[in-house]
Amino acid sequence: MTSTPRSRRQFLKLLGAGAGAAAAARLDGPPVSAQATGPVKIGVLTIRAGVAAPVGAAGLRGTEWWAERTNKAGGILGRQVQLVVEEESNPKDTVERYRKLILHDQVEAVLGGISTGVTLALGPVAEDLGTPWLSWDGTTQKGVEETMPNPKWAFKSVDNEVEAIVAGILTPKYFKGIKTVAGIGNDYSYGHDCWESYQAVLKRYIPDVKFVLELFPKLGVTDFTSHIAAIQQSKADLLMCSFWSGDATIIMKQAAAVGLFKTMKGVFTTAGGVHDSLKKEFTPEGLLLGYNTMYFDDPKASPLLKQFVREYKAKYNEYPPYECDHAFFNAESYKVAVEKAAGSSKKWPEKTQVVKALEGLEIESLSGKRSWREDHVQMCNFYQGITTHRNAYDFVTINPIETVSTKQAMKPAGTKLFDWIAGWKV
Amino acid sequence: MQKIFNLACGSFYALGAYAGVSAVGWYVGAGGPPALFIVPLVLAGLAVGVVGLVVERGLLSFVYDRDETFQLLMTFAVVLVMEDAIRMTWGTSPRSTGGLYLAYGQIRVLGATAPVYNLIVILASLVIALAIGWLLTRTAFGRIIRATADNRDMAEALGVDMRRVYAKVFTLGTMLGTLGGALVIPATAAMSEMGIELIVEAFAVVVIGGLGSMRGAFVGALAVGILRAIAISVYPELEMLLIYLIVIAVLVVRPRGLFGAAEA
Repeated sequence: MTSTPRSRRQFLKLLGAGAGAAAAARLDGPPVSAQATGPVKIGVLTIRAGVAAPVGAAGLRGTEWWAERTNKAGGILGRQVQLVVEEESNPKDTVERYRKLILHDQVEAVLGGISTGVTLALGPVAEDLGTPWLSWDGTTQKGVEETMPNPKWAFKSVDNEVEAIVAGILTPKYFKGIKTVAGIGNDYSYGHDCWESYQAVLKRYIPDVKFVLELFPKLGVTDFTSHIAAIQQSKADLLMCSFWSGDATIIMKQAAAVGLFKTMKGVFTTAGGVHDSLKKEFTPEGLLLGYNTMYFDDPKASPLLKQFVREYKAKYNEYPPYECDHAFFNAESYKVAVEKAAGSSKKWPEKTQVVKALEGLEIESLSGKRSWREDHVQMCNFYQGITTHRNAYDFVTINPIETVSTKQAMKPAGTKLFDWIAGWKV
Repeated sequence: MQKIFNLACGSFYALGAYAGVSAVGWYVGAGGPPALFIVPLVLAGLAVGVVGLVVERGLLSFVYDRDETFQLLMTFAVVLVMEDAIRMTWGTSPRSTGGLYLAYGQIRVLGATAPVYNLIVILASLVIALAIGWLLTRTAFGRIIRATADNRDMAEALGVDMRRVYAKVFTLGTMLGTLGGALVIPATAAMSEMGIELIVEAFAVVVIGGLGSMRGAFVGALAVGILRAIAISVYPELEMLLIYLIVIAVLVVRPRGLFGAAEA
């Protein structure tokens, strides 16, 4: 049943969002039952500008592909899906747009949210407004610790530091005899958290490893020649890099120019986000490269992923990064939850029934099975592997492919990250 | 010379970078030999510089006599418009020229490996700096530019067509920006917000070197580049802080910068 802003509290919130006029119109709108037979509106929040704009574009493309496919198959309980897209920018403006989606557009659910700086602010608002919110890539973590352990309406992405933990687990397997490590990441929470987590994990496997250099250039820097000189000077055995945007491409190119990886091993935890820009001319074989939670070229890919990759390439002339699957999973799990909550009655369920149905739900996503943990955190697989030039593309892919589940690499609900890592039996 | 603090210079740099990527992409697609990729790169960088003429004639020429704050806001508006125009034209994904950066190979210099392309860019920068120096000090046009910069009313009274001089100088400046963007792009990747990054650093360069001084800009750029490199190697946390500590020191102790005019 679609909720309309009829209570005094909701109405005041609506006025607070600066949408009073729209609210007045809504109060005279069609009855609830009539709305439940029209198209189902789903809000989408996506980044459109800045360094994370390609990530936002990938998430939106994944959602649009899902909506098109769902509508062709008859929609959700017979209702066609209508996406209402708003921009994710800074926390304050995004919260206002989120309110607008719920109170003015009256969406049934909101999908999206990439930056944890933004979603940390969205979490309490989602709880307050009482509509399911499924986040693509944002969490409600402050640093590496959870701030909303028992949410009712907020469904969050995997913990930010998981790919660094996976890389920490795989480093000793592929790079024997590592004694010194240098690190470079962006100078904000993600970069620092990944580096801290990677060090904690690696120390468990190689207790006498030394971390000889850490560099944190700010997000958006396009020249790393001085950083690379410092990395060379450190004479570390291995470089760990958590760049995920165009800066990953740039540092790879500038590192190749001085032959950095001829003498040093490399771990790029997140550069798979820009995988098709890592051209063979400057990206060497033998690096550990992370693709986050979807690997487009998986030989064991499902027919669904193969179809998605084919159609994505045909439409955008690019190969899809992981954010597409975060977005697809959110949308598809919402659909399945609505159908599950409706049961045999086929009546549109209440929002509370939908969130209940989402808890613990496992579905088939692009990258395989994904689920929602009982505390509303995404569970899925992470894909990392060793770069190779043996493929049909002009960029590197990975072989062998390592698949590590969040069951192994993400802290369980209610635990502290570093205590959890310290308790591992290695 | 025009007494305008132009924030849009970074946007011209970004525009040159994107134009360079497109031109090289087209050139490689058409089967051009990789060794000559620098030719379309430079031509594209110079060609999009004419956008300076449009901005100068279409926008700035109306605000020369307005308050400086207004001029600053106008050029900031140009920054935002160009950033969106770039995003609409080239999309949001970073763009690069692939592996052409290494087309000229690498050489060993003082025990370190350096890509030959970097040396070409350094050489090109020196040639451009010398050419500008020659233009300003050895040609009639250069004398007019310097006279106008010193005293615009007097130059106008002596028969200098200010409209033409402003248009030429601004377009030349824009072309230097777009050419710079094009030349640097093989070593990096084009991102729509790269212009804003450059403005911040350029601000430090001109404050240290001195506003309105060519020598100051040259020395300021070298100082900022070398200090950053040293900071990253010695104490990385100081990378940005060091530059701005020097900017503050210059503003307090020598507000006109190292080479700025006394009255600046």
